[in-house]
Amino acid sequence: MRVLLGRAAVLLVALGAWELWARSQNPLLYIPPSKIGPALVRVVRLEAYPALPEHLGLTVVEVGVAYALAIGLGLGLGFLLGLPRHLGEIYEPILSGLYAIPSVVWYPSLMLFFGLGPASKIAFGFLLGFFPVVLAVLVGIRSVDRHLLIVARAFGAGPGTSFVKVILPAMTATVVAGLRAGLALTVVGVIVGEVLGARAGLGYLINYAYGFLRTAEYAALAVLVLVLVMAVDGLAALVEARAQRWAG
Amino acid sequence: MSRATRRLAQVGSLAALVAAWEALVRLGWVDPLFVASPLAVARAVGALAPEAARLLGETLGKTLVAYVLSVSLGVGVGLALGTVRHLYDVVNPFLVALYAIPKILVLPWILLAFGLGTAPAVVYGTLHGFFPVCLLVVGGVRDVDRTPILVARSMGATPAQIYRKVLLPAVLPAVLAGMRLGIIFCLLGVLVVEMFGGIRGMGFLLSSLANAFRPAELFAATALVSLLSVGVVLLLEHVNRRLGHWR
Repeated sequence: MRVLLGRAAVLLVALGAWELWARSQNPLLYIPPSKIGPALVRVVRLEAYPALPEHLGLTVVEVGVAYALAIGLGLGLGFLLGLPRHLGEIYEPILSGLYAIPSVVWYPSLMLFFGLGPASKIAFGFLLGFFPVVLAVLVGIRSVDRHLLIVARAFGAGPGTSFVKVILPAMTATVVAGLRAGLALTVVGVIVGEVLGARAGLGYLINYAYGFLRTAEYAALAVLVLVLVMAVDGLAALVEARAQRWAG
Repeated sequence: MSRATRRLAQVGSLAALVAAWEALVRLGWVDPLFVASPLAVARAVGALAPEAARLLGETLGKTLVAYVLSVSLGVGVGLALGTVRHLYDVVNPFLVALYAIPKILVLPWILLAFGLGTAPAVVYGTLHGFFPVCLLVVGGVRDVDRTPILVARSMGATPAQIYRKVLLPAVLPAVLAGMRLGIIFCLLGVLVVEMFGGIRGMGFLLSSLANAFRPAELFAATALVSLLSVGVVLLLEHVNRRLGHWR
């Protein structure tokens, strides 16, 4: 109870300080929280941006395509490299070494190659989402207990049966966690791509509102996107819990 | 498989990839307006080197400031939250929630608030680096084995001694892991601001080369940033191993 009161106090103090600070500053640059609510209403009622549903739809399609590619190629390459004994040892260090490079350096090249349209956002979202998936498959396969495989073989299980009955359940937890991380990163990649250069999509809309100093609407759009991102991740968390139960 | 064979296979695969890429461009299967051949990229590295060295220095300078801020704030806040129970209970949910916010959503606001100079890049870089460092340190403190602390206390160690002799050495691996992760995130944040804000630096060079359709120079610049960041990470890992020996 005291903890909850403490949390409420922190939240109130933070919002109050923000409100007071923002009111004393240039309204074009600083938006108090009390102004975000009305702006959010204008945005959601499509008064501020009548084309909001189309932008939202485009972003959803970009995320969907990018994530489908990330899942397909990530799982495919993961199993291709992970199931044979030596391929993973050779290529996993290269894949995880690419993690040491800040992902955004690839974006200008993708934009040059794929243009300003949805393709470059899909490519960047895919790139961000792909790595957690493929690395999770590799880690998952490596974490399968060898003894279980030997026992299964001793009881006469073929490679197919071993795969379905032993390897898949044992690696499910890791892979599903990787799929969830990949989804979050795909969403971020698509939005980053849209903010850095696009003609449509939610990220473009945010950039547009910022460029015209419609700061209250920018803040409202940011809140809207944040809610959508959290909803997607919450859904992914539910699916993850389901899968863990199935595997456990 | 021996280490040497593995290395050989890795180098061989990468070489084959580069050769295939060169062949693809030579055969005219990809448009040279969008994709430059590895040889052209290598030549561009030479031509670009003086300018790139200056801009890399600029980007690296901002990243370093952001990194020092992220690590000192992250470790400080992390130690405070990890050791003071009530503080943890109250503040940690906010920390996790803030970490979950895609930082790109606050990027325009940071440019509004801090202008178009060095400051927004440092702030945004710090924002990227702070949370991973802080959360790793909080986790590290909370995972510390309580028994040595109890033993030290029962033998009459003061809180300051417990902090210095028991807690800090035990948390060091988490701090080092945070430091390794933090540098990449700081560099990422700085580059994003440079790309978005059109402020000088390597990020700006990358986006302007893309807009000017100069793939050879663009790939060369991308390669230079990538090598720099891999180099920094390897350096940190080296320091990490050194400190591991010392512990």
